[in-house]
Amino acid sequence: MLWNKKILLFFSLIGLCFLSACAEKEKLADGSELINKNQFVFAASGEFKPFSYINDDLTMSGFDIEVGEAIAKEMGLKPVQKRIKFKGIVEGVKTGRADAAVASHTINPQRSKHVAFTTPYYYSGPQIFTRPDSKIKTVKDLKGKEVAVAKGSTYADTASQYTNKIKTYDSDITALQALSGGRHDAVITDFVTGKSAAQEGFEIKAQQLISRSEQAIVLPKDNPKLLKRVNQSLEKLREDGTLTRISMKYFGEDITSKPE
Amino acid sequence: MPSFSHFFNILTETKGVFLKAMLLTLELTAVSIILGIVIGLIFALLKNSKIKVLELISDAYVYLVRGTPLIVQIFILYFGISGIFLLPDFWAASIALALHNGAYISEILRGAIQAVDKGQLEAGRSLGMTKALTLRRIILPQAFRRALPPLGNQFIISLKDSSLAAFISMNELFNVATTLGSNNFDEMTYLLIVAVYYLLLVALLTFIVNRIELKLAVSDR
Repeated sequence: MLWNKKILLFFSLIGLCFLSACAEKEKLADGSELINKNQFVFAASGEFKPFSYINDDLTMSGFDIEVGEAIAKEMGLKPVQKRIKFKGIVEGVKTGRADAAVASHTINPQRSKHVAFTTPYYYSGPQIFTRPDSKIKTVKDLKGKEVAVAKGSTYADTASQYTNKIKTYDSDITALQALSGGRHDAVITDFVTGKSAAQEGFEIKAQQLISRSEQAIVLPKDNPKLLKRVNQSLEKLREDGTLTRISMKYFGEDITSKPE
Repeated sequence: MPSFSHFFNILTETKGVFLKAMLLTLELTAVSIILGIVIGLIFALLKNSKIKVLELISDAYVYLVRGTPLIVQIFILYFGISGIFLLPDFWAASIALALHNGAYISEILRGAIQAVDKGQLEAGRSLGMTKALTLRRIILPQAFRRALPPLGNQFIISLKDSSLAAFISMNELFNVATTLGSNNFDEMTYLLIVAVYYLLLVALLTFIVNRIELKLAVSDR
């Protein structure tokens, strides 16, 4: 009899340990919620150079990372990077694995149903990339061709408007690598990402810039006070030129201001 | 956690997409099993040949293939050698899978061949059969029967290993599950659905292997 009780106690203790893993977020004085009181945990993929990439010591660097760290500093919090595969970031923020995501998410209505967006922190756009000898120039040439994109990206939706032969990879860089190696007919990704890959030696050429897009920081919908704080911090960073400085560092131009 | 009715709705809605992906998973598995058995048999016989050089070749192959992760092998065949030679994605995946299976199957078959009573070989030789003929008509059929349970195991592993083809953008079951899951911001439901499909396939495979075992066991009566 005593054995049964001990076993029951043992398993319920284990069960409790699992439950505590789904801990509540900490609530602050101004009503905003954070996973840890003095940390700003922001997610990025690390697979979208130059916006986020992994260093040899396995920490992340890049435009998105520096913006995330600047925002944390502005809010008086310690920045903590969290690497999540891009396709899982929106759900990761929604379920509380990170406080926010600074991962080049394009604002679109589909995502807005599940998470909240801040004001845009940079302006860019999807572009077609091909091998240098390709005849594809515009979206019309994509019909019937095989296009590779990153899973969970808006580029996958864009591609599906022009062709139904779509191949998905976990990262845009892998897609560009495959293209460079001779597979698929085109890749649709951010024009900055493709430009950066070409500079690193990928055998790719930029074609039509399909459209313009606005990228913003992603936050959970149930945390409006934190959204307000992040937006306020973003505005400060715009005013004092920090965003522009980071942009010049990575791109030699200011992509954080709305293009004319 | 998603509700049961939500799960069922999506299951029926996505039937078409998943069935198409299931076909691809089955194709990958079938090719890798058939090729894997051929490769496994060749290397098992090499190992049993009593010729030192051939045994070493077999050892080297088994060590290399068992000693590296399958995903590394798939990436080498897909990305790595694309500088020299462009393998279509289906063949990159199925050849990597076949080579991988072949190593494990060669060990299974080697063990099964060695387990057949020495007397069988002696009896064959004393009837005037060559070693090769004895092997083909007497030893291998018996060995194959013994090898069925561990082979069946390997087939099931092979079926699940086919999911790694997702990382080279093939639209088999796992890839479809993660793509739809991220498009609809609902990873959990789609992962559960694909788990159901894999369970069905494994049940089918187990059934087939059991039938084969029963058929071959007729000679026991």
